[in-house]
Amino acid sequence: MLEVKLHDIGEGMTEGEIVHYHVKEGDTVKTDQPLVEVQTDKMVAELPSPGTGTIKEIIVPVGETVQVGTTLLYIEGEGANQTSEPEPKENRKPAKANNQPMQPKRMQTTLNRVLATPYTRKIARDNGIDIEEVQPSDPSGRVTEEDVYQFINGNQTPKAEPATESKSIAKPTQPDEIPFRGIRKKIAQKMTKSINTIPHVTHFDEINMTRLVELREELKASGVSVSVPAYLVKALTIALKDFPVFNAELDEENEKIILKKDYHIGMASDTEDGLIVPVVHHADQKSIQQIHSEIKELTHKAKEGKLEHADLQNSTFTVSNVGPLGSTGATPIINYPETALIAFHKTKKVPIVTDDNEIVIGHMMNLSMSFDHRVADGATAVAFTNRLAGLIEHPNKLMLEMI
Amino acid sequence: MVVGEITEERDLIVVGGGPGGYTAAIRAAQLGLQVTLVEETDLGGICLNRGCIPSKVWTHTGKKISEVPQMQEMGIGVNEPELDLDKLLTYKNKITEQLQKGVQSLCQGNKIEVLKGKATFTAEDRIGVEYGHQFDTYIFKHAIIATGSTAALPKEFPKARQRILLSHELFDLTEIPNHLLIYGNDYIAFEMASAYQSFGSKVTLIQTGELSLDQSIEKELKRTFKKKKIKIIQQDSLQSIEETDEGVTVKLTDHKGKEQTIEGSHLYTSGHQQPNVQSLGINRFGVDQTEDGHIIVDHTMKSSVPTIYAIGDVTEGPSLAVKAIKQGKVAAEAIAGENVEADLTFLPTIMHTNPPVASVGLTEQEAEENNLDYLVGQFNLNANGYAKVTGKTDGNIKVISDAKTEIILGIHMIGEGAIELSSTFVQLLEMAAKVEDIRFPLFAHPSTNESLLEAVEALSGQAIHNPPKKQPDKIKERSF
Repeated sequence: MLEVKLHDIGEGMTEGEIVHYHVKEGDTVKTDQPLVEVQTDKMVAELPSPGTGTIKEIIVPVGETVQVGTTLLYIEGEGANQTSEPEPKENRKPAKANNQPMQPKRMQTTLNRVLATPYTRKIARDNGIDIEEVQPSDPSGRVTEEDVYQFINGNQTPKAEPATESKSIAKPTQPDEIPFRGIRKKIAQKMTKSINTIPHVTHFDEINMTRLVELREELKASGVSVSVPAYLVKALTIALKDFPVFNAELDEENEKIILKKDYHIGMASDTEDGLIVPVVHHADQKSIQQIHSEIKELTHKAKEGKLEHADLQNSTFTVSNVGPLGSTGATPIINYPETALIAFHKTKKVPIVTDDNEIVIGHMMNLSMSFDHRVADGATAVAFTNRLAGLIEHPNKLMLEMI
Repeated sequence: MVVGEITEERDLIVVGGGPGGYTAAIRAAQLGLQVTLVEETDLGGICLNRGCIPSKVWTHTGKKISEVPQMQEMGIGVNEPELDLDKLLTYKNKITEQLQKGVQSLCQGNKIEVLKGKATFTAEDRIGVEYGHQFDTYIFKHAIIATGSTAALPKEFPKARQRILLSHELFDLTEIPNHLLIYGNDYIAFEMASAYQSFGSKVTLIQTGELSLDQSIEKELKRTFKKKKIKIIQQDSLQSIEETDEGVTVKLTDHKGKEQTIEGSHLYTSGHQQPNVQSLGINRFGVDQTEDGHIIVDHTMKSSVPTIYAIGDVTEGPSLAVKAIKQGKVAAEAIAGENVEADLTFLPTIMHTNPPVASVGLTEQEAEENNLDYLVGQFNLNANGYAKVTGKTDGNIKVISDAKTEIILGIHMIGEGAIELSSTFVQLLEMAAKVEDIRFPLFAHPSTNESLLEAVEALSGQAIHNPPKKQPDKIKERSF
């Protein structure tokens, strides 16, 4: 019969908690096969089998904290280091650290006791906190009064699972893995390049969508259905013409800002593989309806994974229409090498105070516009979004701009 | 309840009036509890009557005798000392009696009821006290077991003995042994070796194990012992111990595997301490105990039965009064509803040898075994001005610090003043002090204290009175 005892696995441990048995009574085990998982205040370790045989009896149940030297289980050996027959059962009672209602305090040694002054220890004690769980802010590892108060106020997460809760700690689970390749990797590269190159500023604003919503309903009633993004794209092209600096690209090497004369609006789209930006080319030269059907087609192609190379090229400004998904604000990353990007958020019904000091129900939408601060300044950005907002809030103004 | 039996009620009953027990009783009384203290023999326990205090009378006497040559050198007219053991015994008894009376009057002053008798638990909340024919029963809310321990001779020792002595017998011996063999590895063994050498005995110390001291301290201790012609034999295994009319013969195999026969007139051993639990009756209602009978307690000294606490030698750990006193206070305060704990991490190791030893925290061996990145600073008392004046130049101080954080990990000292300085060591460690916390304050001059400062400065090779070649090799740049 082989006796498997909890032995000192290192760091001068004096006791350990049985977390999990890899075997059950009656199992056949080989030498060095892991038998049991034990947790100390420092680590979780596995005890290997000292020999080959059959698990005869498991003495200490899972969850119990026992002292080093306590017999955990017996293996009926086929050879290996035979030890004497186990003692009579009543003497085999595990040398429990303490009885149940007591909170056994770990045996402290000069090596593992947390550094703190006696007064700091008292504050922890008086607040029912195990000072060993408090994270020291001092680089030398000393827990201060301040650290304990931070802990009390919940500004700290426990260093480790408290001993009483550690019973529920199961075997560490294997994390899932996603290959970091293809579109994901491409997105990562582009985003990193953009954020590392462009000094981003994000400016927030809101647009009253009430009239646009009404216009759409009118049109819908007459059998014409046009999506909001189509209006937004159209309004954008008009605003961009007034503020060409946002339809631009900075050529740092040659020390110039290139103001583009083409208005190719990228439409950030969410696909199963990740973010893709199909482009509505020459949006300024297209009617709202044309834009509408083009967006629809591009979105469809994106979902099906049928976008062609040309569909993704040469955008000069990008729109991220996250509104249908929700959200109230964001700090989007610019689609490098463009100068700006606008995210449109969810349109919500809200009480609006009118010019006559009346409260009416209206539709409001937030927008977040990130721009390249090397190229443009905040005031310009605000003027730009004001122009855009004006066109959306009074959609009939759009008409005036039509060619 | 039997008709006619009177059961009295008490807030707290403390069983045992040693340093732990009477401290617990007084603290509990200070906190407003109604306390009864039961003691079978004398208040003060082993410590006051047979241990700490008498042994310190011996070591102090030894120290005084050893100072005579220097006094002669200073021109003080003293002859070669002769020790009158009768007088010393009277002196010792006077001291212990005075201290005992002091404890008694403190108990009185704190309105503690002191009962003489033997206590036996009959239930989780009930205790009987037997004295002569009288047997009284008490119901208590809480009880503290502070019954201490009893020294027992190792089983290899002969049962019938005259010249083999345990501690209390040694302090009652009416003659000075010609050749005292000291058998053991505890602090009293080393203290007695020191004392009896001064008394004029030939002393052979048979060391039965390794000391847990820092190696530099142990080396210096053994060097001073050898200087005084105290022979030290490291025992590997004991063959036999025999007592004759003339003396005691020990046969053993030493650590080098050589068989030795050592003869002496007397043999002292501290034996091993066994917890006094047999007559308590606590096993009846499941107070958890270790295999050898020690009561298992938590950090507030509470046993597995919530109404019963235990402190001192009857619990696990070293048999030291310093532990019992602290645990006694903690138990009393916990019972009174305070939020307290006893933490023995920085328990000072003290030996009233000549020179004395005080050691707290990590030793260099431990730092090395645990692969810590540490620095060592050492200072010999020989270079301390005040030590020169007093003639107490044997010894050194060693400081271990964390090389990265500069936090002090351990302080070890052998030399005059070590015992009194030990509280400073403990405090520095409890405060998690850094090197600068010792370098910054002012140290009185001239004083032994300065040696601590110099040892700390030696961490960076900057001890003023260490000759340059003696500075450690492991000098690293100090960072601030």
